[in-house]
Amino acid sequence: MRRFAALLFAGGLGFVLLVIVTQLNLGQTPMIVGQEMLNVAGAQVGAANIVTSVLLAYRGFDTLGELSVLFAAATVIGLVLGHRRSNAAVDPDGGFVLQAGADLLFPLLLVVGCNIILYGHLTPGGGFQGGVILAAAFFVGVLGRPSTGLDHSVIEVIEGFAGSAFIAVGLWALFAEGEFLMPMLDPGTVGDLISAGTLPLLSLALGLKVGSELAGLMTSLANTEAGDP
Amino acid sequence: MIHLDYVTILYVGAIGLLAIGAAGLVICNNFFRILLALVVLEAGANLLLVLMGYRGDAKAPILGFGPDGAQMVDPIPQTLVLTAIVIGVAVQALAVSILVRVFRSYGTLDIRELKARFEHDIAVEMGIEPPRGGEAPAGGRIQSSGPPNFRPPESHS
Amino acid sequence: MNGVVLPVVLPLLAAFLMQPLAHKSGVTARLLGPLVLAIGLAMLVQTWHLAQTDPFTVTFGGFAPPLGIVFYVDRLALIFAIAAQLFTLLLWGWSMDAQFDGEKKAREDALMLLLAASATGLALSGDLFNVYVFYELMAVSSFGLVVLKDTGPAQIATLRYLLISAFGSVIALLGIAFLYAQTGTLNLAQLGELAPKALHGPAGLAAFAFMLIGFGVKAELFPVNTWVPEVYAVAPARIAGLLAGLISKLAALVVLRLLVVVYQDTPAPQLLLVLGTLTVLVGDFSAWRSKDFPRMISYSSIAQLGLVFIGFSIPGPLGVLAGLSVALHHLLIKSGMFMLATRWSGSLDRLAGCAKSAPVATGLYLLFALSLVGVPPMPGFWAKLLIMTGLAQEGSVVYLVALGVVLLGSIVKVHYLFRFALKLYGRADLPPVRHSLMELGPAALIGIAIIAATIFTVPIGERLRAVAEQAADRDAYISTVFPDHKTAAVSEDRR
Repeated sequence: MRRFAALLFAGGLGFVLLVIVTQLNLGQTPMIVGQEMLNVAGAQVGAANIVTSVLLAYRGFDTLGELSVLFAAATVIGLVLGHRRSNAAVDPDGGFVLQAGADLLFPLLLVVGCNIILYGHLTPGGGFQGGVILAAAFFVGVLGRPSTGLDHSVIEVIEGFAGSAFIAVGLWALFAEGEFLMPMLDPGTVGDLISAGTLPLLSLALGLKVGSELAGLMTSLANTEAGDP
Repeated sequence: MIHLDYVTILYVGAIGLLAIGAAGLVICNNFFRILLALVVLEAGANLLLVLMGYRGDAKAPILGFGPDGAQMVDPIPQTLVLTAIVIGVAVQALAVSILVRVFRSYGTLDIRELKARFEHDIAVEMGIEPPRGGEAPAGGRIQSSGPPNFRPPESHS
Repeated sequence: MNGVVLPVVLPLLAAFLMQPLAHKSGVTARLLGPLVLAIGLAMLVQTWHLAQTDPFTVTFGGFAPPLGIVFYVDRLALIFAIAAQLFTLLLWGWSMDAQFDGEKKAREDALMLLLAASATGLALSGDLFNVYVFYELMAVSSFGLVVLKDTGPAQIATLRYLLISAFGSVIALLGIAFLYAQTGTLNLAQLGELAPKALHGPAGLAAFAFMLIGFGVKAELFPVNTWVPEVYAVAPARIAGLLAGLISKLAALVVLRLLVVVYQDTPAPQLLLVLGTLTVLVGDFSAWRSKDFPRMISYSSIAQLGLVFIGFSIPGPLGVLAGLSVALHHLLIKSGMFMLATRWSGSLDRLAGCAKSAPVATGLYLLFALSLVGVPPMPGFWAKLLIMTGLAQEGSVVYLVALGVVLLGSIVKVHYLFRFALKLYGRADLPPVRHSLMELGPAALIGIAIIAATIFTVPIGERLRAVAEQAADRDAYISTVFPDHKTAAVSEDRR
């Protein structure tokens, strides 16, 4: 009976969505704001990657909010899982393949992550994407050798200061030019590495914060004690 | 003959993901599976949102990339989805951590059993009779442990 | 005037720095939170005095709307922004426990700051996706605060709340997607401009329905309010007070803005009316059946929120005024009741005869109950009267049915609230329960505020009427955000 009701609900939802989607003018949506942004983003912001300029300049405040959501989630996970008891059992170290693989992957992931962050305003990528890869780089080490945890105090410091750096850049704009999160510095020429004003700085702060946060988060989850029922 | 280009398949796929996720949310009896259904639901929603910015034969919104003069897709839905994905990941990670704690406290992740034990624990803590009868979960009656007894008010921390 | 972003940004900054700071100096970390909130409150109150007549907008990043995000600051937004900072400060957790876990406290403080920041941002924002991001931040912070007591039932309740909330967020995101696909913008003012042409069809209404269900999770709307009694039974009472009092009102404010600016002259208010009526019915009858104090007041809070939505569904400034009065009144009353519930967190029978041992608390409860039911001359009476006259004025069948439900709900409310009051004044069978000063203090302050509101009903009513007129004026909203009425068809120069 319950299965039937659930299928009915899901089917009904799917049907309603199909009907709505056919009503929308897909493929020719009125791209009012989007088209405007495509036209002026190059001159106004100076980043080649328009999605990054939307993310960090036009909608930078949303990005700050999103950053805070991630931070809030990491804080709650710290609250819920707490610290492990120091004499608790630890997972055994991985075998040779896992450890060697982790050692090989670490520098590669680090380079790829930094590349994606630093070139975020020129090619697809940016702070979040690169930050996740950085987090993965540090986490494979923990996967390979569970006994070596990540130093939580270092993670907290990086997290805290990277997030504050993002806000600090915004506040600098507020006090210097009068609007929060206005892109400062010279836009430069589109396509150069040093271009788009303060955008690469914001990207960097974002990448560091996301990377350290996710690394700490995943380590907390992994460190839930071995051998629990 | 319905014209089936690959974009239509994407739309149908996104809606299908949403329907599967919704069905899973309602059907599943294990909290972890409900969480997985939520993951599928969010994936479907993100896909549908990105598709809102689709333009036929357009290029990515990066200056100096692709053929000149071609139109670029809408950058805004891409930004929205980026934000939505990150928020979704944060909430899912949070859910997993709470699942771990629930499992440690109760030893099970079955929703019916957990609901019964929740009601029982709350009733005991409040000093009221553990619920029976109309508030029992569908499909079974809960046997409370013996006659109800009032306990003196405990000091709260 | 651009400093009005600081009450949102400074708590975020303080939250980010809370944990490293707690390692260095515990005392500074404990004081930082309330200090930041007090600064934010002072700034907002100053803005209230400065911006007496006209609303204004604050843009972000120097990009004029609709390219950039705007904050729309009118008196309604300021009331709720001030309420956000004030109530978070009032219900702050000053734990004076012997076993003090510095790190846990730092995390809790950070979450409270994030809650305050997101609530303030939600009140002020004028961009739909910005609203969604702040709504999510509010949700995630509230998950953490609800699960503070590390007990099994708390974890289960938080998990169920999380799952329902995440489902609601997906639905809200779908609604935003449909809205964007039809109009191409996310700025509320521009949506209001384009709405008459673009949003009148069924797809536009469907987008509203999806967003209503999505944002309705936090606003305790039927049918997504099953999480409410569970969470309020397990959360620390002051957190429950914050959730029921403040957070739910902010979610309702979002729906109001959508209704007033974007969906005027559509069938959307009727949908809201139906759901609101169902919420009132379910809430009041479940409160009547409940056997313990926290759940009784949490069900009654569901019913009050249903009343707020019924108020908002009445078109025009009267609707805004009615909903706003109920919302503000409930904000005060519920926070007070939940402060009382910190000690009275047990079965109703267990609290029999408390009147002798805790006269102040019982007196406060009576005061709150009288106002909640709507006995003249208390403020609750005026709020309910506004709703009932608004419903009667509309005249159509749906509105009259809602009027009947509101009256029925009031009768049920009288019964369960005074049934408990009689119990309090009855015989004491069990040892008495007393409140500490920490808990009684804010409740007493709120009681004083209620008495003050009773005395000053007329001037407060006039002020609220002005606020409602300003808020219900859609054209003023659009022309404030777009002074030249030029939308994105013309490119804007960077200042």
